[in-house]
Amino acid sequence: MSAAMLEIMAIAVVTAAGCAVVGTFLMLRRLAMLADAISHAILPGIVVAFFLTGNLSSPWLAIAAAATGVLTVALVEALTRTRRLREDAAMGLVFPALFSLGIVLIARQAGNVHLDVDAVLLGELAFAPFDRFAPGGVDLGPRHLWLMGGISLLDLLLVLVFYKELKLATFDPGLAASLGLAPVAIHYGLMTMVSLTAVGAFDAVGIVLVVALMVGPPAAAYLLTDRLGALLGLAVLLGTVAAALGLALATWLDASIAGCMAVGVGFVFLVVYLVAPGRGLLAELRRRRRQRWSFAEIMLTIHLLQHAGQPEEDDEARIDHLHGKHVGWTPDFTRTVVAGAVRRGLVVREGERLRLTDSGRVTAGRALSGSA
Amino acid sequence: MTDTPAAAVEVTDLTVAYRDRPALWDVDLEVPAGKLMAVMGPNGAGKTTLIKAILGLVRPAAGRVRIHGRPYAEQRRLVGYVPQRGSVDWDFPTTVLDVVMMGRYGTLGWLRRPGTRERELALAALVKVGMEDFTGRQIAQLSGGQQQRVFLARALMQDAQVYFMDEPFQGVDARTERAIVDLLKELRSLGRTVIVVHHDLQTVTEYFDWITLLNVRRIASGPVAEAFTAENLRLAYGGRVEFLQRQNPADPAPGDDEFLHGFGRIRP
Repeated sequence: MSAAMLEIMAIAVVTAAGCAVVGTFLMLRRLAMLADAISHAILPGIVVAFFLTGNLSSPWLAIAAAATGVLTVALVEALTRTRRLREDAAMGLVFPALFSLGIVLIARQAGNVHLDVDAVLLGELAFAPFDRFAPGGVDLGPRHLWLMGGISLLDLLLVLVFYKELKLATFDPGLAASLGLAPVAIHYGLMTMVSLTAVGAFDAVGIVLVVALMVGPPAAAYLLTDRLGALLGLAVLLGTVAAALGLALATWLDASIAGCMAVGVGFVFLVVYLVAPGRGLLAELRRRRRQRWSFAEIMLTIHLLQHAGQPEEDDEARIDHLHGKHVGWTPDFTRTVVAGAVRRGLVVREGERLRLTDSGRVTAGRALSGSA
Repeated sequence: MTDTPAAAVEVTDLTVAYRDRPALWDVDLEVPAGKLMAVMGPNGAGKTTLIKAILGLVRPAAGRVRIHGRPYAEQRRLVGYVPQRGSVDWDFPTTVLDVVMMGRYGTLGWLRRPGTRERELALAALVKVGMEDFTGRQIAQLSGGQQQRVFLARALMQDAQVYFMDEPFQGVDARTERAIVDLLKELRSLGRTVIVVHHDLQTVTEYFDWITLLNVRRIASGPVAEAFTAENLRLAYGGRVEFLQRQNPADPAPGDDEFLHGFGRIRP
């Protein structure tokens, strides 16, 4: 791997890590889509700061964007408070308005300052190694690595320092407020960091796909753990893996880095969704299968119990009767259910007939009384 | 009521409005320390709003609140709060022990982390509510009654002088209700004041010794024996009190017999 490639990889990884940290709290606050709104709405802030500084990696861009992001949240909340429209509609109004303002500003850009719409929308990570951070002529690596690394580090530090406050303000804002732990200030602090992270990340993945890095990794991590600390750690891990995978894919296909990183996030989520123990799809299917068999065995014991001691018992207890007119199972299904029930000692087989054991009677009785 | 400065909670001329609709209109209250008080009234009467306004969670349009003689902001450490169980996300990735420790966050203040001492206090609080076997349990796996016990344990961690509890009996089983009542009475015997949003008219005389009846305005507030009368209930609930089984209310006024054949359930 070339040095430039390594630098790009480093930027992608720190971007994903920072996005995962703030994204975890957005998801837990059910504000995942606010990531999308903020990342779009910060565009005019970026454009204005870019016109003034002429530099896409200037810290002023980050500051202007953070201010625009917080303004977005405040506008959405102000609109929601009027009770004339709901939060999702308010978001749908505010962020396109600000975003399109940014687009118009780019189109009407002044003088010879040049800002490429594609670069803003989809990122330009491939060119990041050309913009060096070299104070006093000493090359310290790509400027963007320092910017994004700094933002992600700040995300992580703030979350660690305010961990307890963030947790309570997210889980129970009412209690947090009554204890004087300012949940509103925490909320706006978090939104500031989301905006800062979004502006840092837009260079890597562009405005359109920041939401993928903020929502995907925490959503995948949520399937793997039910502890907040582990959730944060796993979200960062999965985010960085997804970013690395995406970058590798982009190199291999010679395709858009932003697009491939989003695909990487989707792929990681899909894999976790399939194989997660407990909450994954495969685990769920296994559980349902088990339930289906055990339900069928209980049904069998109930069937035998209902007809026990009745004149028709002899007929009803025949195995071929089960897949005949009454129960309607297929012969294969019946064979497996009977074998399972025999193995568990619920019934005994006497030739072609089944007889309920004591344990089978208890099982049926419990199911009928509704406590099984 | 006399104006003793030692009142645990004193509310004067409290008005709260959501937009132009008043939720509470000029409410005056005075709860002496060491009382177990029910806050009752029909849906939309402002019971939760009253608690939220006292705790500064909604901004009143007018009025003043004093906790043991001083504004709430200066007395946070004296106050414990149990929000409605449904007000939080029980899928939040955390454990029973962790939630209980949150009761200590106020005392810890900003930046200090809970440690061994908080852990021990939380375990003791869980023992008190009979949930010591659930310490490591993910909170999503709890039943409604268990969730309420966890909230109560968290409130015990606050070690407060005045407790506000929003519908702690909502959707809990009989055993949990019994356990909660025992706990409330124990708090009272320690001289603590407990203010509970309550719905069941049948249990008022058994559980509480003080009551406030609300319907946007304060209908009545005082000792159960004086304030929990048929006339006040009629004022608070209007015609919506169904006459169910016979009840033994405080101070039945003559001529109220027909009405007092019990007022168990309130039509929504």
